[in-house]
Amino acid sequence: MNIQLIRKYWRTILIVAEMNIRQQMTDGFVLFTVLFQPIIIALLGLWMLKDKGPDAAIFVVVGSGLTGLWSSLLFISGNSINFERWTGTLESLVAIPTPFEVIVFGKNLANVTQSLLSMVLGYFVAAFAFGYPMEIQQPWLFIPSVILAVIAFISFGLIIAPIFVMNPGVRAWQNAMEFPIYVMCGFLFPIALLPGWTNPISYLLPPYWAAVALHGTSNGGASLNETLFAWGMMLLFSLIDLLIASRLFAHMLYKARADATLGME
Amino acid sequence: MNAIEVSHLRRVFSSQIGVIKRTTREVVAVDDVSFEIQEGELFGLLGPNGAGKTTTVKMLTTLLIPTLGSASVKGFDVVARADEVRKRIGFIFGGERGLYWRLSGIDNLRYFASLYSVDPDVTKKRIPYLLEMVGLNGRGDEKVQGYSRGMKQRLHVARTLLHDPDVLFLDEPTLGLDPVGARDFRTVILNLQSEKKTILLTTHYMFEADALCDRIAVINHGRIIALDTPGGLKSHVRDLNVVEVETFGVPESVLGKLRALPFADSLSVEEQGQKQMLLIQTSRGAEAVPDVMSALDGVKIGRVIVREPTLEDAYVRLVDGAA
Repeated sequence: MNIQLIRKYWRTILIVAEMNIRQQMTDGFVLFTVLFQPIIIALLGLWMLKDKGPDAAIFVVVGSGLTGLWSSLLFISGNSINFERWTGTLESLVAIPTPFEVIVFGKNLANVTQSLLSMVLGYFVAAFAFGYPMEIQQPWLFIPSVILAVIAFISFGLIIAPIFVMNPGVRAWQNAMEFPIYVMCGFLFPIALLPGWTNPISYLLPPYWAAVALHGTSNGGASLNETLFAWGMMLLFSLIDLLIASRLFAHMLYKARADATLGME
Repeated sequence: MNAIEVSHLRRVFSSQIGVIKRTTREVVAVDDVSFEIQEGELFGLLGPNGAGKTTTVKMLTTLLIPTLGSASVKGFDVVARADEVRKRIGFIFGGERGLYWRLSGIDNLRYFASLYSVDPDVTKKRIPYLLEMVGLNGRGDEKVQGYSRGMKQRLHVARTLLHDPDVLFLDEPTLGLDPVGARDFRTVILNLQSEKKTILLTTHYMFEADALCDRIAVINHGRIIALDTPGGLKSHVRDLNVVEVETFGVPESVLGKLRALPFADSLSVEEQGQKQMLLIQTSRGAEAVPDVMSALDGVKIGRVIVREPTLEDAYVRLVDGAA
């Protein structure tokens, strides 16, 4: 892939993301999923741990932000292709020269970026409503952790969407998949509190490594090596997800064209 | 050179029915369809609902994979070289869907221009040009959800022309438009034709096909039953005249009597609110009127006229004959 093509696709991704954010700004479901639900979780967590000090507060803020990232990925990105079919725009997006996965990448970028707002809002709630001296302990490691977490979440979303399209039965379990990931990935409390046999499952989930990096760099609890390892795992999983996604998208689109399921009629 | 070549195209839809004992049901939507469209030609595809028009267009626009046969657009196979075909085509499917209603008209165009990889500098000039061309000047900043059906259709045209495609597929583009909107839309199509675009148009409106198309293929039950110029198709009914009778509350038994008349080549009934317009194709012309009137004895009758056949009459004869 040459540089010119990457620049062209990047420009498309940014426009897709911009248009998605514009459309979703007034969507009640999106606002609840990416903003209000994480804030409610943050308020409850901060209230329950109000005697535990600022370290617990920053853990709750980052953790509640991660719940927003996962929920938006699961519900909004996961349904992004089906949404286009429901609105009758899927055919217009398939019969064009831009690869469909580039478009879904842009949509996921919009969803994940919006979800980060919930982390920022949670930060202000903890700082002003609860009066905690909120401080990111390792800011220069936290920022790359956020960027890598965004990439890991977007890439993970690229395999969820086609799986949901090709397997309506899996999509029926969507609601049931929300909370277990909060727990298994250590968003709201460390996985050390879970039974040991569940830990290997957590290690296979890209959001877990995002949680390790973001929690560790925000509260200063992670060594440089631990953070670097989490970054490496996020990059590795992103790469694997992108490779799987390219195959899934090709298969999904061929199947949709063969089975005539692109339109709703 | 041909812009579009279709050879023995066939598309079968399969669906499973039953819960315990599942059986597969197959419907042949397009069956052994072949035709060519020359560069710059405006080609019409006519047929009743479910005849296979949209399925054919969807195969040509790379949205469906043919079960058998092959098709190419600008020399590229629609399955093997779908990516090359997509760069060269634009398409409109009738109806209001396919746009982002929460975005403005301009934002919709910006979005699709980026998806078609139109250079940003070109996009800036092209969007105002297209909005003016389709008559949406000054309305581009409004959200699409506030547009009328006609405005949405016109925005579809602008969208499909963003990357200046050589070949256009217009699938029932005037469906549901008011008469003025449909007329304006036909003007847009004629303008596109004057720009040497190759256009495949499907429509239910015979006068539209008659006025616009260079050649027309009539498709029924998935098969092409006639392919000719509008004049050539009309020659199928040159030996006939049409007796039009306006009736009010004509019973089925009387329609049976009319169909049984030996000189009645075909009979169609158009429901028009309280009245029914009976269209009887016959080679006897005005001489058939007395026998028609006696068959209609006891039925309230309005005006009666005898006229030359139109493309619609030719279409009715072809479709009825193939049924």
